Amino acid sequence: MSALVFYSLSAVVLISALGVVLLKNTLHSALLLGLCLAGVAGVFASLGADFLFSSQLLIYVGGIAVLLLFVVMLSGRSSELKLRQVNDQWLAALLICAVTFLGMRRYIFEAGTAVLTASPQPTTAALGKLLLGEYAVPFEAVSLILIAALVGAVVFSKARERKP
Amino acid sequence: MIKHVHWIALLPLIASVVILLGSRDNTEKSRLPLLGVAVMGWCLLHSLLILAGVLSGRAEVPFYRTLPWFEFGGFEMTLGVLIDGTAAFMLVVVTLVSFLVQVYSLGYMHADPRFKRYFAYLSFFSASMLGLVISSNLMALFACWELVGVSSYLLIGFWFEGDAPAYAGKKAFITTKLGDLGFFVGLLLLFAYAQTFDLKMLPLHFQMGPGHMPAWVPTAVGVLLLCGAAGKSAQVPLFVWLPDAMEGPTPVSALIHAATMVAAGVYLVARTYFIYQAAPMALEAVAWVGLITAALAATMAVAAYDIKRVLAFSTVSQLGFMMLGLGVGGYTSGLFHLTTHGCFKALLFLCAGSVIHAVHTNDMRQMGGLSKKMPETFITMLIGAFAIAGFPFLSGWFSKEAILHDVYRFSPAMWCAALATAALTAFYMFRLVFLTFLGISRDHPRWEHAGESPPVMTVPLWILAALSIFAGLALEHNGIFAGAVCFGPAAAAEGAEAVAHAPNWLAWGAVGAFALGLAAAWRLYGTGDLSLASSLKRSLAGVFDILEDRYGFDRFFLALVRASDSLAAALYWFDSNIIDAIFVDGWALATRALAEVQRFFDDFFVDGAVDGVGALTRDGGLGLSRLMAGKVQEYLLFVALAVSLFATFIMTR
Amino acid sequence: MTLAHYLALSAALFLIGLFGALTRRNIIGILMGIELMFNAANINLAAFNRFLHPEGIVGSAVALFVIAVAAAEIVVGLALVLAIYRSQNTVYAEDISLLKG
Repeated sequence: MSALVFYSLSAVVLISALGVVLLKNTLHSALLLGLCLAGVAGVFASLGADFLFSSQLLIYVGGIAVLLLFVVMLSGRSSELKLRQVNDQWLAALLICAVTFLGMRRYIFEAGTAVLTASPQPTTAALGKLLLGEYAVPFEAVSLILIAALVGAVVFSKARERKP
Repeated sequence: MIKHVHWIALLPLIASVVILLGSRDNTEKSRLPLLGVAVMGWCLLHSLLILAGVLSGRAEVPFYRTLPWFEFGGFEMTLGVLIDGTAAFMLVVVTLVSFLVQVYSLGYMHADPRFKRYFAYLSFFSASMLGLVISSNLMALFACWELVGVSSYLLIGFWFEGDAPAYAGKKAFITTKLGDLGFFVGLLLLFAYAQTFDLKMLPLHFQMGPGHMPAWVPTAVGVLLLCGAAGKSAQVPLFVWLPDAMEGPTPVSALIHAATMVAAGVYLVARTYFIYQAAPMALEAVAWVGLITAALAATMAVAAYDIKRVLAFSTVSQLGFMMLGLGVGGYTSGLFHLTTHGCFKALLFLCAGSVIHAVHTNDMRQMGGLSKKMPETFITMLIGAFAIAGFPFLSGWFSKEAILHDVYRFSPAMWCAALATAALTAFYMFRLVFLTFLGISRDHPRWEHAGESPPVMTVPLWILAALSIFAGLALEHNGIFAGAVCFGPAAAAEGAEAVAHAPNWLAWGAVGAFALGLAAAWRLYGTGDLSLASSLKRSLAGVFDILEDRYGFDRFFLALVRASDSLAAALYWFDSNIIDAIFVDGWALATRALAEVQRFFDDFFVDGAVDGVGALTRDGGLGLSRLMAGKVQEYLLFVALAVSLFATFIMTR
Repeated sequence: MTLAHYLALSAALFLIGLFGALTRRNIIGILMGIELMFNAANINLAAFNRFLHPEGIVGSAVALFVIAVAAAEIVVGLALVLAIYRSQNTVYAEDISLLKG
């Protein structure tokens, strides 16, 4: 059962990710990104991280993917659909990816012995205590970063005033 | 007082600079020359106080004080003062004559367009001369010696608009340089064996006796120093410049070329007398040079008609007497004559200046009968003539007597020659006085125009006249001069012994010579009838020609100059045609050929390497700049490449 | 399912994201690739938490931080894209060479 869930989620995630990377139409890429992120949320759920699952759905799928769609639609032109979307570095990038995979391969297979032993526990209450207790300072730092990002985004995307 | 003796030399120097730079007003309206006169007056007072201190024994002599000047190796050059009795007397003579001449010049030079500069030069001369007198160090003395020469050059050529003064200045400078060459070589030789220039240390080296240095060294040094002295003091054969030096202003002739600078040679011999004591041969050379000079110059004075040249020859002759005195061992008598001569010769020159000021000519043939027009000048000049000719109990008589005593003791033959010279001295001096002041006037317009000089000129004359009368008596009294100026106790004792042994009739010799000279001059020139003199001159025309030719010394030196000119021309030809052509040009050719080869090497190898490096850098830079194209994604590619390589390297290790 | 399966999934997702970030001409595409890499990391964190420390929740906490920072990043990045698009009238990375030396 869990194997079926895992493989189907993996298929969704990887295929939609490839679509994000390879498709010509950026709007399609953005839509597939939403699907991919939802798949990742499913992976979180299968790992028993319930709060992470809901956050992923809320923030990524509900926020970031939608934001991306907006920007794509704001900046896109229909003429660009015919244009090549992959630059001429693709061979070099492929080689780099291959090299990196070769480096990671050993660790992936060495970690293979661990198996699931216990059933997952709800984590939301514990996470809340942890973030507002022991991790209060990083939590507040992150909130500062978010504020700064918000202000920055407003400043950057504000329409520039024309000088007379 | 004596502790501040260095100011005597320094203040006139400061005064000369101040006068020279102080104001643009060059005419007599400038008040700055009075500063020079005042400074010189102060120096005179100071010198008199020092002399009084020395004579009364209150001041310790010799006074010696130095400060270090510079060092090299283990040798320390010092700069300092050394005052003994000789220097004290010399200081008084120099400051006295300087002061009086400066006062006199206020009148004499009043219309000159370079009035102020003249006084600056005078102060500068006084400073150098006083520095020469007080110097404790032969090297510093030499430096002042040359400065004196420079100021002499400037003042002889003071009226440089004319050819004659400019020529005379050059002649004086170059001729004395000829002697200074010997002086300098002598100094170097001295240093090589004694390792010091200090006048206080040097005598010790010479008193250590034989074996300390080779026997020929004192003789050689003595003769070489005599060369310098002969140049400065116008001795044979370097006296030729002094008659020409009379082209300068007359007060300058009185100051520099009669009383002070020309005495510097005598003073040098006196200062380095210890060397001559160690070298009897050099001392005898001094005596012979002095005697020959005295005799030759006296005869030349007889034939001269220029009033100042007569006095110039007279100066040369008297300087010869001083040298003779020193040379025969009469240290005291030679310096005594130097002192008295300073007074009466300055007097004579200033009188001559007064006459020239009145009649505007130097030629005695255009004078005559001036005694009625300018009685004060006449009387003072007569006093000067009596003094120099050796009238009993005037100053010249005492000093000349002393020299003749010493000469007789040394060699009776030389005494005879010296006595004849003394007679000639009387003759030419009275010839000068008679031709100028007595008889009838030979140039009436000039006679009519003539008049007595202003008091600023006659007062110095009277002061000097009084000194000419009384200085000898005062200094001879109780042996004051001999007591202060003596060369060590041994010499003093020797001198006293000699006086005791001298025959009584010796004193009458000088008086006889004086009377003879005076009588001859009166017979020929005093009566106003010059026919005998002119007939005598006609019958002795050949002799007169030789005398007016100055025994051919001038021609000799001119020939020497021409010979050296031709030698220089020959050497120049040799240099330009042989040396330059073969060595210089040939060498240049070879150098150029080598340079061509080097240029080739430079162009192809050195520059090639440099250019290669440059091109490599440029091409490499261009290549690398293509990486920095500003494409963010390319950067990202490199980052990813690096990270993946590092990560792979770490994980597969 | 073992840890290795999750790690393999994570690695594949990471490499796909890396490839996208390196090859997409569109800046928005590059940002999407980066998002994929973030998600691969988050899968790793969650998987390690689940398999190596089943009682702990620190992995989930760090993953949350990553999500928050990624959100900030994407917000600023998209704002920049809009600004660039306004001033340069393009969203293609190779057309923008303001960093060229």
